[in-house]
Amino acid sequence: MRDWTRPLFGAWAVIVYIFLFAPILAIVAFSFNTGRSLEVWDKAGLSSYSAFFQDQVVQDAIRTSLIAALGSALIATILGSMAGMALARRPGRWQLFFLAFLGLVLVTPEIVSAIALLIWDVRLGSSWSFFANGLVRLWIGHSLFSTAVVTLIVRARMQGIDESLEEAAADLYAPPFRRFRQITLPLMLPAVIAGLLLSFSLSLDDTIISTFVNVAGTTPWPVYVFSAVRSVLRPEIAAVSTVMLFVTLLAVGLVAVVLRRGGSTSHDVAKTLAGA
Amino acid sequence: MSSIKKRLPRSTLALPAWFWFTFFFAIPVLWILFYSFGYKPDLFRTIATDHLNLHQYSIAASNTFFQTFKSTLRISLIGTSLCLLIGFPFAYWIAVKVAPARRPVILALVLVPFWTNFLVRTIGWRILLSPSGLLAGALHSIGLHPGPLQLLDTRGAVQLGVVYNYLPLMILPLYVALDRLDPSLREASKDLGAGRLRTFLQVTVPLVMPGIIAGVLLVFIPLTGDFITATVLGGAKGNMAGQMVYDQFLIAQNWALGSAMAVELIMMIIATTALFGVFGLAVRKIVRARRRVVLAVAA
Repeated sequence: MRDWTRPLFGAWAVIVYIFLFAPILAIVAFSFNTGRSLEVWDKAGLSSYSAFFQDQVVQDAIRTSLIAALGSALIATILGSMAGMALARRPGRWQLFFLAFLGLVLVTPEIVSAIALLIWDVRLGSSWSFFANGLVRLWIGHSLFSTAVVTLIVRARMQGIDESLEEAAADLYAPPFRRFRQITLPLMLPAVIAGLLLSFSLSLDDTIISTFVNVAGTTPWPVYVFSAVRSVLRPEIAAVSTVMLFVTLLAVGLVAVVLRRGGSTSHDVAKTLAGA
Repeated sequence: MSSIKKRLPRSTLALPAWFWFTFFFAIPVLWILFYSFGYKPDLFRTIATDHLNLHQYSIAASNTFFQTFKSTLRISLIGTSLCLLIGFPFAYWIAVKVAPARRPVILALVLVPFWTNFLVRTIGWRILLSPSGLLAGALHSIGLHPGPLQLLDTRGAVQLGVVYNYLPLMILPLYVALDRLDPSLREASKDLGAGRLRTFLQVTVPLVMPGIIAGVLLVFIPLTGDFITATVLGGAKGNMAGQMVYDQFLIAQNWALGSAMAVELIMMIIATTALFGVFGLAVRKIVRARRRVVLAVAA
């Protein structure tokens, strides 16, 4: 029997792909707009890209974003890798509570975590100036969701690896630290690197938490763009966004390569990249 | 087993993360609840909690704000349904119709918009939807919509924007569930005489139900709390509850009212999810009971 549904599905897929890519292509195309307003096409040129090199505020925003992403990714990777190890190797009743907690962190609407962090940072900041620091706030805020994601990635990886390898090392009198460095760490490394890069990208992408915990002077890029939405959108925003898009895709592409070489199947990779 | 394992509690390595979540997530979220019983004392202070009361809840539930909650729920229910309707055939196409060798590339293409900055891709729609923009031109040239397009800064634009922004979150879990489904089950159903529709409804849908539920929750929960799409595309007409919370916290500086609104927003999400959960369980029970009767009669 001929499959008459195949062309219908194919046509639907083409429509969905056009839908998914239309606004992204619009941003990339309009980054070459030389007009004053992003939405109104003037003529093609590179003026918006060169404007970036003269705009100190935009450069500061990008730098803040990168520092925030680096810090929160490090926090999330360290905390998440440890927790993921514990979940995979030290199961027990505590696991249920911990996973439920993790689930809550993952499903809570971001605006709720964001106002919670604002309230908390302001309260703590009145006693300890440490929490009034914009970068510290961003590191903490961005690391929460990412820690949960890294935990799940590392747990999945370690559950797939037989513990007998580590036990063999112990039987051969390898001390705990050496056992970790020579056996456990290389085995979990693909998951750790994937988690690190994912956390980095998640942080670069974050607008909601950043908007709430933002302190003047350490404004990350998405918050800068969001305030521009409320006043005037200029083509420079599309230009920087295009560059950031390629940076993010490069990072995510690296994650995919690392995971594939670590032995995951393509749909495991897709699942991991979806943060699910 | 080494001696270290015996001395320390089994959850030791998870303790730092546990502490982190407790101190920077659980306690602060509970603080929202506490603040929602407070009030705004004067123009310059955001919050006071010296006498706790429920006044903010009655303000947050008053007519103007209630209308926004209602339209938020409407946008998120329609948005979630549309994501499911658009995403399901698409995920089915990737998992079933596309040759396995080409699947990674096809999936990677879905991940590109997912990994593009949320705010930036929403701004992309501003370019497409602008009155004299690309979409207006395209519609005009095929004779569908003469004159300037009046979609930007309306609720319709917000509806379109949220469907767009959350669609990948629906496609991915659906794909994972459909991919796990053994094709021989569908073939068996067809060999036993079931048509396409019956195979779909009685074999495919029940088996991928976990994926459908995951997708619906992944879309519905963040969509309901979203304020960025509405701010970028909705203008003055397309308000969502998340924006009210944003306004109270960052513009009106009334944290008590903002907290009460956030609590109401969470309750709305939990209530809707629970309602659909109960409804789903009831439907499942009825369908199973009916099937049992049919089988008993057939026997």
